[in-house]
Amino acid sequence: MSDLEDFRQRIDAIDEHLVRLLNARSACALEIGRIKEREGMAVYQPAREAEVLEKVRRSNTGPLDDAAVMRLFERIIDEARRLERIAGARRDAKGE
Amino acid sequence: MVVVMQERATETEIQAVIAQLIEMGYDVHRSSGATHTVIGAVGDGRGDPQLISVQAGVREVLRITEPYKLASRTFKPENTVIAVGDLRIGGDEVVVMAGPCSAESEEQVESTAAAVKRAGAKVLRGGAFKPRSSPYSFQGLGEAGLRMLRSAADRHDLKLVTEVMEIAQIELIEKYADIFQVGARNMQNYSLLRELGRARKPVLLKRGISATIEEWLLSAEYVLSGGNKDVMLCERGIRTFESYTRNTLDISAIPVVQKLSHLPVLVDPSHGTGRRDKVSPMARAAVAAGADGLLIEVHCDPDHAKSDGAQSMFPNQFDRLMAELRVIAPAIGRSICVEPVARRGWSR
Repeated sequence: MSDLEDFRQRIDAIDEHLVRLLNARSACALEIGRIKEREGMAVYQPAREAEVLEKVRRSNTGPLDDAAVMRLFERIIDEARRLERIAGARRDAKGE
Repeated sequence: MVVVMQERATETEIQAVIAQLIEMGYDVHRSSGATHTVIGAVGDGRGDPQLISVQAGVREVLRITEPYKLASRTFKPENTVIAVGDLRIGGDEVVVMAGPCSAESEEQVESTAAAVKRAGAKVLRGGAFKPRSSPYSFQGLGEAGLRMLRSAADRHDLKLVTEVMEIAQIELIEKYADIFQVGARNMQNYSLLRELGRARKPVLLKRGISATIEEWLLSAEYVLSGGNKDVMLCERGIRTFESYTRNTLDISAIPVVQKLSHLPVLVDPSHGTGRRDKVSPMARAAVAAGADGLLIEVHCDPDHAKSDGAQSMFPNQFDRLMAELRVIAPAIGRSICVEPVARRGWSR
């Protein structure tokens, strides 16, 4: 049982780390959103999304297979896009 | 909505769909499967899903919300109960509306009203303006018919439902009737429905002869969105390949509508079958299936009726049916004709 507890504690610690990293990533995405708006670029940049996915796929060392990593990052990118949209809409509402 | 891409959809096609969904205001969830990419579109996007379904590389588009809102149970979870004076439609009581297809004469309206009241009906039905399949058939008595129906209803303490066929008739009919009936042929007469949305009286909306349940609920939405919240639906049979009965009564529409919508749902087994001897079994089935009410044609002399004689019941058949329904309704927790008139020694 202590092994189980051990691993669970490690997962909890990793999750905390993941949330911090995801938020750090999101903060970057928000900055990018601001720049895109200033430059008149669309929120959705398919070429860049494909590039991100390709990079994470290449850095994958397992045990997750490539497809699993891609699916996880598709979700991360979906949320980044949503965050950029909401931030953009808020700026529009404030007339910034 | 959920967009399922074709097996051989290219990355460019997938990206074009995502770009369009984003432009429509959706948040996109992309999920690349081993063979198919599935794109979830969530949030307050607006736009026609058809526009996505015709894009290159799209296999199918699945809608996950109903196109109607005010008629939807998602929007209003509790049942709508319509008050017509002291009568409640959509509550515990199964409300029976009965009477002749059309008003033909004072005597005919009076004797039929007396008969249906005695049997336990709460609402008198009857037409003064008749939409007939043939322009040479009897077209109704007009305002004279409305007067006959109203005075018979008043004499027998019945409410009155009668059909409105066009916008120009609304003002006149509103003076006489308690409930506007919109017939199957007018279910998609959207200008009439819009006008009834501004009326102050409940609307009984029959299902169109070839209408899907979704189209029917969208028609109800027209009335509701105009501000009239008192809409009841009425299944009256749909056109199928079967020709033995006039129409095929869609009993399954009752539980389907009750799941999708909060509006009361009634059944018209007379038009649903078109044959007198089939009316009782279908009426019993409708009540057993949970209908909130029935709309039945009864004529004191159906063999000489000017319209729909073949599907009109004799008063004694209607009596027997009501007695049967009083057994069936309590079995599913409903009541019917709470105070049987005969037992009160009612006579007039």
